[in-house]
Amino acid sequence: MKQLFASFRRSFSARLSLWVVLFAALVFLVSLVYSSFVARRYVQKEAVLRASQVLENSVLRLANILEDVQLSADYLEWLVYRHLDEPDLMLEYSRNTVLGTPSLNGCSVSFEPDFFPGRHYFSAYSGYKDDVMQSVQEGSEDYQYFYLDWYLQPKLLNQPCWTEPYSDWESDDAADLQTEMQVSYCKPLTVADGRYIGCISLDISLKWLSETLSSVKPYPNSYSILVSRGGTFLVHPDPERLFYETIFTQGLLEPVSDQTILGKSMQAQETGMQSLTIGNERSYVFYTPVKTTGWSMAIVCPESDIFGGLDRFRWVVAGIGLLGLLLLFFTCFRVVGRSVKPLRELAVQAEDIASGHFDTALPEVTRSDELGTLSRSFAHMQTSLVSYMDELTRTTASRVRIEGELQIAREIQKGMVPRVFPPFPGRKDIDLFASIDPAKEVGGDLYDYFIQKDSLYFCIGDVSGKGIPASLFMAVARTLFRVLGQQQLPAADMARQINETLSEGNDQLMFVTMFIGIVNLKTGSLDFCNCGHNPPVIFPEKGRARFLDCKPNAAIGAVPGYVYEGESIASVKGTPLFLYTDGLNEAENRAQAQFGEDRLLSTLNSHPFDGAEAVVERMGRAVAAHVGDNERSDDMTMLCLAVS
Amino acid sequence: MGGKRLLVILLQFLSLASGAQELEKFVFSPSSSPQAQFAGYYVALEMGFYREEGLDVTIVHPFATQSVVDKVLEGECQASVLPLSLAMRTVAEKLPLVNILQTSMNSATLIISRLGNDPRSLRGAKVAGFRAGFGQLAQSFAALEKLDYQWVYTSSSSAVNLFISGAVDATLARSYDEYYKILQSGLVDPEQGIYRFEDGEYNIQQDGVWVTRDYYDSHRKQADAFARASRRGWEWAVSNPKMALDVVMRYVKRDRVASNRTLQWLMLREVLRLQLDHESGLREFRLRPDMVQKADEMLLLSGRTGRHVTWEELVP
Repeated sequence: MKQLFASFRRSFSARLSLWVVLFAALVFLVSLVYSSFVARRYVQKEAVLRASQVLENSVLRLANILEDVQLSADYLEWLVYRHLDEPDLMLEYSRNTVLGTPSLNGCSVSFEPDFFPGRHYFSAYSGYKDDVMQSVQEGSEDYQYFYLDWYLQPKLLNQPCWTEPYSDWESDDAADLQTEMQVSYCKPLTVADGRYIGCISLDISLKWLSETLSSVKPYPNSYSILVSRGGTFLVHPDPERLFYETIFTQGLLEPVSDQTILGKSMQAQETGMQSLTIGNERSYVFYTPVKTTGWSMAIVCPESDIFGGLDRFRWVVAGIGLLGLLLLFFTCFRVVGRSVKPLRELAVQAEDIASGHFDTALPEVTRSDELGTLSRSFAHMQTSLVSYMDELTRTTASRVRIEGELQIAREIQKGMVPRVFPPFPGRKDIDLFASIDPAKEVGGDLYDYFIQKDSLYFCIGDVSGKGIPASLFMAVARTLFRVLGQQQLPAADMARQINETLSEGNDQLMFVTMFIGIVNLKTGSLDFCNCGHNPPVIFPEKGRARFLDCKPNAAIGAVPGYVYEGESIASVKGTPLFLYTDGLNEAENRAQAQFGEDRLLSTLNSHPFDGAEAVVERMGRAVAAHVGDNERSDDMTMLCLAVS
Repeated sequence: MGGKRLLVILLQFLSLASGAQELEKFVFSPSSSPQAQFAGYYVALEMGFYREEGLDVTIVHPFATQSVVDKVLEGECQASVLPLSLAMRTVAEKLPLVNILQTSMNSATLIISRLGNDPRSLRGAKVAGFRAGFGQLAQSFAALEKLDYQWVYTSSSSAVNLFISGAVDATLARSYDEYYKILQSGLVDPEQGIYRFEDGEYNIQQDGVWVTRDYYDSHRKQADAFARASRRGWEWAVSNPKMALDVVMRYVKRDRVASNRTLQWLMLREVLRLQLDHESGLREFRLRPDMVQKADEMLLLSGRTGRHVTWEELVP
């Protein structure tokens, strides 16, 4: 199953087909539910109409039967009253009444004990037994009819009435005590003073009644029920329940059942329809009272009968729909699969190209749809990619070469500035330390120093721009500083000569700011020339570090023929100097805040002078802390000198 | 087929197989048509308990309006089920009878009002009562309470039908029989308008098996054997009520009695409950002297009997 889901996830055509089918299924389902709902309502209406008509007809039929019985009773009553003095005729009258009324099973004319002199028991009964008409005088010690309900009920009510179902029996047949169940229409017989003298009783076989009324049914499995005033089933298809159970029997064990609710409605002589569960089946029950009897008739229509056709239709439609959805899925799967086949091939080729096979051949595309456009775009992309990769290969090779050369240049540049500290191990009177940190592989900053006779020549500079041009310019400037230093020229002259040399043919208009100084190691005097460079910081013997006041002059190389003015300090012994390039005070952090001259001075003043190296390293740490992880954009060079 | 049922069939077979001995004919007449009221006797017959006691018992039910007392008096049966009050009246007026097995320890008699009011407030009301069988005690009660009921004597099933049709205001009923039939009509509230003799001072035990004194004196062995086997039948029914109900239903269906399994089940349950003595909580199967005395007083005071009947007269 997991593999199936995985393949569904991987297959675009399967997923698209599935979505299409799901959507179609949703539309189909909604349509089916709605149509079923509407159809169900129509079928239900039809069922109500149909069942109501059948019920009405059945009740009418029953009413006709009962009316026949009542008319026969009226006629018999008239005969009895007319011939009260001829008791022997009663048997004939009862016989004729049964014969003349097809719905009757039996008839009796019964009198109070001893009403006729010498005849304690008198009940002239005629009725069918085994389809044979029999007429007998009933009543004996074992069959005292005047204690029975059919006799007592009209007597007590003093009006015609229908009895509850009962079974009568015959005294001469002990083996067949109980005969069939019946109901009787009884009329009291009274004389002029109102005294009760007996009754006539016309019996209907409930078996016959049940068969007669059950024959009409609106649906194959529907059935009629007729319940008496006391809830007894007078008509019911189940012989186990007919006569022996009432509609409330089930309620004796289950006090609130659907059947009990129905029974109460029927007993209350209501007309209506209820949907309830009978047995295990949901059914609609239509009921109406049978007037003058206290009975109620109902037709039970199982839902499976009413909605069976509809349900079958629904299943067929659902089956067709399901089949259609399956066909739709497979059709969709095939069509989409065929449509996206070029995409699959393209994907394979793209993977091939991605793995480095840029010359993979793409198939010829003749389609003019989106997939054709995509294929052509992909082919164009492949061509561009091949071209780009060639260019990239060349560029990369060139870059590697340049980077190698730059590395060599860096090493050369690093070799151009002295990097051995202490620089003059034999001289304890000179404490000098310097550092240079180019922003790129090669930089435009420089520093240098050397001793010529009794003088220490030193300089620091910053070439405009960066990279190779700046480094070349720096190399020339440093070389000139070295060469001119050998000639023992004053700092201003050195600056002038370097300027003249560098400015000549300086088409790129490059320049270098420099601070050139010469310390007489015997006297401690300092001759210096500031060529547009940041003024150095001086550490007075007493007091705080401060920028050295000096003339700015022009940067070297920018103005040909410029006359540089030198300056001097009588003695710098015990007064250390700190020189730097603008890469230090202009170092920026991520917030683009510069390190600044104030922070530079405060860093230098934060600690008493403790040696040139310590000062340079402390300053380096302060700058690094300020810059953080921001990328440096300029070279940074420092030089600290203390002469004692 | 369950194991118990198989056991029943096996026992029946064994009892038939061992029936080589001469069996004494014995006719037993319950007080009405087949129903669970007599479950113990059907069980004893079906299970062969009577045969084991050397009796060939035939159960003969009376007609609806036939008095079972008459059957005893006329010698149509050797034993019958009678309510205590009817037996005492018979002893007082007609013939000495002996109680060989008292099954009920309580009164099952009820009076049910059709309109739901207290039956003791229905003075002068038309009340259906049974001509055959029990009813003596209720008549005594009505007389003692000066209720002036107009008794409409009828049969059990007719009483129910008269009640349903509204021909009577109230009816006498037994808690295991007519009560459920009336409930089954859906016309009355099961808790209202009912007076239960069992709950008051008129709780007099009801069904018992009676034989004539003459028969008992001459056939003591058979009478005792019938009582023992019947008691076994009842005890088996207590232990196996569902199977006992199956037995009852066979008799009910055979005689096409207008009843159903639900009614018979409720009847069996109630009959077995009435067998428990209120004080001891046990099935004692004995006639209580105090109840005999109480019944005697009621019958005498209401004029139902002309003399005292003592407990000693009724027991073997």
